[in-house]
Amino acid sequence: MAQDLTLARPVTGTATPVSPGPRRRPRRWLTGTLKALAGLFFVVLALFPLAWMVIAGFKTKTEVVRTPFQFFPQVWNVDNYTQILADPTFLSSLGITGFGAVLFTLLSLTVNSMAAYAFARLEFQLKRTLWVVVITTMFIPGMTILLTSFIMVTKLHMLDTLAVLVLPGAAAAIHVFFIRQFYLNIPRSLEEAALIDGCGRWGVYLRIFLPMSKAPFVVVGVTSFLTFWNSYVWPIMTITSPELYQIQQYLASFRSERSSELGMLMAGSALAAAPVVLVFLVFQRQIIANIKMAGLK
Amino acid sequence: MARRRPADDHVVAANKKRYPDTVMAYVMIAPIVILLGIFVIYPALQATVLSFYNWSFYQESEFVGLKNFTDVLTDPKFRASILLGLKFVAITLPVQLVGAFLFASLATAVNRRFADVLKVSIYIPTIISGVITSVIFTIIYDYSGGILNALLAKLDLTTQAWLGDPRLALVAIAAPAVWLGMGLTCLIMIAGMLDIPASFYESADVEGANWWQKTVYITIPQLKNILLYLIITGFVASIQQFELPLIMTNGGPMSSTELPNLFIFNHFRGDPYVGYSIAAALLLFVVLGSVSALIFRVLNSEKLVD
Repeated sequence: MAQDLTLARPVTGTATPVSPGPRRRPRRWLTGTLKALAGLFFVVLALFPLAWMVIAGFKTKTEVVRTPFQFFPQVWNVDNYTQILADPTFLSSLGITGFGAVLFTLLSLTVNSMAAYAFARLEFQLKRTLWVVVITTMFIPGMTILLTSFIMVTKLHMLDTLAVLVLPGAAAAIHVFFIRQFYLNIPRSLEEAALIDGCGRWGVYLRIFLPMSKAPFVVVGVTSFLTFWNSYVWPIMTITSPELYQIQQYLASFRSERSSELGMLMAGSALAAAPVVLVFLVFQRQIIANIKMAGLK
Repeated sequence: MARRRPADDHVVAANKKRYPDTVMAYVMIAPIVILLGIFVIYPALQATVLSFYNWSFYQESEFVGLKNFTDVLTDPKFRASILLGLKFVAITLPVQLVGAFLFASLATAVNRRFADVLKVSIYIPTIISGVITSVIFTIIYDYSGGILNALLAKLDLTTQAWLGDPRLALVAIAAPAVWLGMGLTCLIMIAGMLDIPASFYESADVEGANWWQKTVYITIPQLKNILLYLIITGFVASIQQFELPLIMTNGGPMSSTELPNLFIFNHFRGDPYVGYSIAAALLLFVVLGSVSALIFRVLNSEKLVD
């Protein structure tokens, strides 16, 4: 695209190299400082709301939105955190959400990767038709089938069970697509030897493909975990027993039922956000590296 | 296979050769086909059928033809919610794209360690739930004790009832929506920028081009596809936003935040007959589903055709 390089007359001024190119200008420290400030600006915008939540968790219930405004708590006390942790429903909803999220993640990895392998490597009748059907489901907005899915789980007597949370979303075309892309790039030569040795297609999947699947599994696994942990609308439609309350559902009902306990609400929110932030930080390198693969080519 | 003619044996044998893995493949895809069939495909088909009926949980249903669709399309409230959705997109999408562009320009121009810190920080909000985001922004917006009004008061500006004022509530919902959506947009933009050959910038440097010129003549034209992708996926995601208004305002005040999906959801919850909301949801599917299918096809065309 050389024609894109038809530049206007060079204008004098500070050149800020976008890529590491030759830096000839002496005002490097100035651009350096500007970049640092701009970076700081973005970091603050991104992280301030979360910091604000954690700080508010240390405030007494009247301090959170008090007039006159007060940035830090008068006394940093951990009462909100200890009180919310003493609430058995909070703890059980953290536990059951975590348990459900792990089940959901494992199920999602299993069913989606098996299908991905079949669509990437096996030759079978109706392959194209099934592939088109599977991919089409990707474009059905959740809202379109929200009510009829609800009718379905009602008919199947799944309401108010863990199954209603785990099963419906586990198969996801986008994940099949993503893992399949990865499998298509595994060289066939790797499995040919195994096939000749009589490994069989299952053996190839279990012993060659699965061990190489770390990169797509991290992305699909973390995405599944986050989706489950953060879901709110489906749980409020399908779960009514407090023993099965999902964490977002718990927080939302706490917010409406105990609206004066803002400090505790913020502490609970901070504790509920902590696991996902942790999961993300552990896998951030792989997730960030794979963003491009996920969305585009 | 009940009535098998002799000629079929030939076909079966030929198929066996052409499709050696059929049985095994069916075993492997059975789980997703069953799960998608029960929880996605059947409900989608049922929604299509029900949109022609006057269906309710408690009564015999009755065929009503296109009545649900005409009801939806002639309902000024539905049209108002679509317009509101477009307005919401018009507020969020430009901010998100311009912000992500500036962010990506910065992140590709600093050293690696700083870039990593920037990328991780900007992505963290993406993983926070809609409920928690709503809780946080509600206290930020609080009229008498929120930090936003405290800041305005310090600057001698008028304080506002952010979520209580029909003129401001949509903007007040847009801010957390951008906060949540920014991370992914930024990272995709960065990936796109890193794909632009460095030699383009080198020759621009030789000619003494400044940052602005390089942006206008190199970066933006080279990012054309990425920008198109981000605009379309951003549009589809943004117009479907409904958790934030559901929790923060429940569509109020005076329906000023009743975005299309929330409008449909509130009808689901409120109507005795579901035909209306299902018809509305289907119309949404036809429009948004085909838009996203189209962009997916354009971007991945060579992958869909084996």
